Amino acid sequence: MFPKIALAVAFSPRMEALLAETKRLVELFHSELILIHIGEKTDELEAEFKKALQRHGIEESRTKIIWKDGKPGKMILQACKEEKVDLLVAGAMKDEGFLKYYLGSVGRKIIRKSPCAVLTLINPKLETTEFSKVVLNGTQLEITPFVLANGVGFSREVHADQVHILNEIKMYGLQMGTAGEDSEEEIAHTRRQLVQDEMTYVQDILKAIDTKDLKINIKVTGGKWAVELGRFCEKIEADLLVVGDDQRLTFFDRLFPHDLEDLLSTLPCNLLILKN
Amino acid sequence: METLNHKEVINLLLQLATMLIVARVFAEVARKFKQPAVIGEILAGIIIGPTIFGSFFPAIQEYLFSSHPMSNIALDGFVQISVVLLLFIAGLEVELQVVWNQGKNALKIAAASMALPIIAGFVLAYAFPEFLGVNINDRIVASTFFGLAISITALAVVARILMDLNLFKTQTGLLIIAAAMIVDVLGWIVFSVILSLSESGKGGLGVWPTIGLTLAFTFFMLTLGKGLINKTLPWINKKLAWPGGLLSLSLASCFLAASFTEFIGIHAIFGAFIIGVALGDSEFLTEKAKEILHQFINNIFAPIFFVSIGLKVNFIEAFDPGIVGIVVIVGLLTKYWGAYLGGRMASLPRKKAIVVGFGLSTRGSMDIILGLIALENGLITESLFIGLVILALISSISSGPLMGWAEKLKI
Repeated sequence: MFPKIALAVAFSPRMEALLAETKRLVELFHSELILIHIGEKTDELEAEFKKALQRHGIEESRTKIIWKDGKPGKMILQACKEEKVDLLVAGAMKDEGFLKYYLGSVGRKIIRKSPCAVLTLINPKLETTEFSKVVLNGTQLEITPFVLANGVGFSREVHADQVHILNEIKMYGLQMGTAGEDSEEEIAHTRRQLVQDEMTYVQDILKAIDTKDLKINIKVTGGKWAVELGRFCEKIEADLLVVGDDQRLTFFDRLFPHDLEDLLSTLPCNLLILKN
Repeated sequence: METLNHKEVINLLLQLATMLIVARVFAEVARKFKQPAVIGEILAGIIIGPTIFGSFFPAIQEYLFSSHPMSNIALDGFVQISVVLLLFIAGLEVELQVVWNQGKNALKIAAASMALPIIAGFVLAYAFPEFLGVNINDRIVASTFFGLAISITALAVVARILMDLNLFKTQTGLLIIAAAMIVDVLGWIVFSVILSLSESGKGGLGVWPTIGLTLAFTFFMLTLGKGLINKTLPWINKKLAWPGGLLSLSLASCFLAASFTEFIGIHAIFGAFIIGVALGDSEFLTEKAKEILHQFINNIFAPIFFVSIGLKVNFIEAFDPGIVGIVVIVGLLTKYWGAYLGGRMASLPRKKAIVVGFGLSTRGSMDIILGLIALENGLITESLFIGLVILALISSISSGPLMGWAEKLKI
């Protein structure tokens, strides 16, 4: 699923935990590991890298270290592009200050502009994170069949105990408001139909996906999908949220947050953003 | 405080009861023919107003609607509140998220569908102001207004048609909805500026301060205002009675914003509309709450407003077939072609662009409010207003069948 997994290493206090988490994923997906370091290549740092790889028992033969000089965000993204990385693992703070959010931190920049899938871990651990409760975004978008196929695939590989697929009725208030001209029976029928349509949408996609051994729960809500996903993840204390992204977010999206930007402003749990 | 006397109270209550009953009867008739309720409500007003009831039963009509001036003032208060609330609900219907998702394509369609009618309408009204019935003393403003009036799309009506045709959730349906939302926002911003300009001659703010204030208010409400709403709504939902607390406070905020914009020289309806957009875009206003607000306003205040139109204008006396014909033809053709070309610019296939063209041609709510305000401000004559109402009726009746027909085209 992810032949090449990359991790940007900054020798920060979180590095050990991020290396442990990435190693687990590399093993689960039988991937090649790409470590990206932004800064000057020195003998000391090279030795540090070797020691870190040995500490975590990472195979050096299946690991490549990339050295880049320049702006961290830009260089990490460039390295991902050059190496044709499939998944970039990143650590990110759950909450960012007002100014940092609007001006943009390196972590958020990578998430927003990455050319490949990004797994954002809000609390990476040395003993690694179990993705037991996984939530997939099932709202009707062009990218959703891809998200469900890959989200289910990911859940299978990480042995998730429960997969929730959340779908949202678009503009429920407007639709029910205009249906308000009908009789009570017709309104009830419209309401049922709206829910049923969303269930059918997800079920139809799942028919073509191998879901065996996975417990899947489809839930339909009304509201803005990103906000509803965030709330649902917090409510069930999800370990991972999987969403798709097919557009690059800009400062304008931060000024008027919507969709993915809503999620990035809160990061309700670990977040896997898939790119088609 | 001055109060209504015994007879005036009875008269006011009878007025309201008559309006609501007749509106309901005709809305049900419209429903039977699969037409939006607004068509029945407008017809109800024409029937109980001076046009029909006034001609056949003048004594009863006069007792009900002309015998007690104080009751009429009170009724006018109800109508004013209805307009403000209708704009509030129109704002709630705008979902910025849908607009962002559809992005440039929706913007292209909205811009083209507005530009063509505005330009054509302006040129026509400016060239023939006396024939068309726009205020010759305020020629530029009145001509721009006419163009704007025929460029509006009725979001709620088109949403219903799309639901009935099972097109609401399709890419074309969402494009139409998003474009209609953009038309609403742009339309009300431009209209507020135009209206303020027409008043500027009478001591208003002037061109640039009005434009600046309108844009500043919009920007403030959609950023900091929305932030404030996001901070207070969770508290309201959690601590106050639901939906009572939310209903009363959201209406209070609507009236506050309306009075604020009126105070700074922009029309009250603009404040109501923008606070509706800000509130509707908040993640803490639940869809259930939106539904309740919709039903409360659509079934009580909307009928009062739409019936009141027929009470104000005699549709036979002021009817001018030339004006009506021109307004209907220019309105239908320019809006359709503007939206169609916008669709083509957005790289839609021909068939989808035709559906978008007919979809955005749907009128029947905001355009009538706009027309009535222009009539009350002396920008247009009754004959032109009738033309706009008939354009709204024809387009809202024909849009559904035309979109259905276009969907089946094999091109």
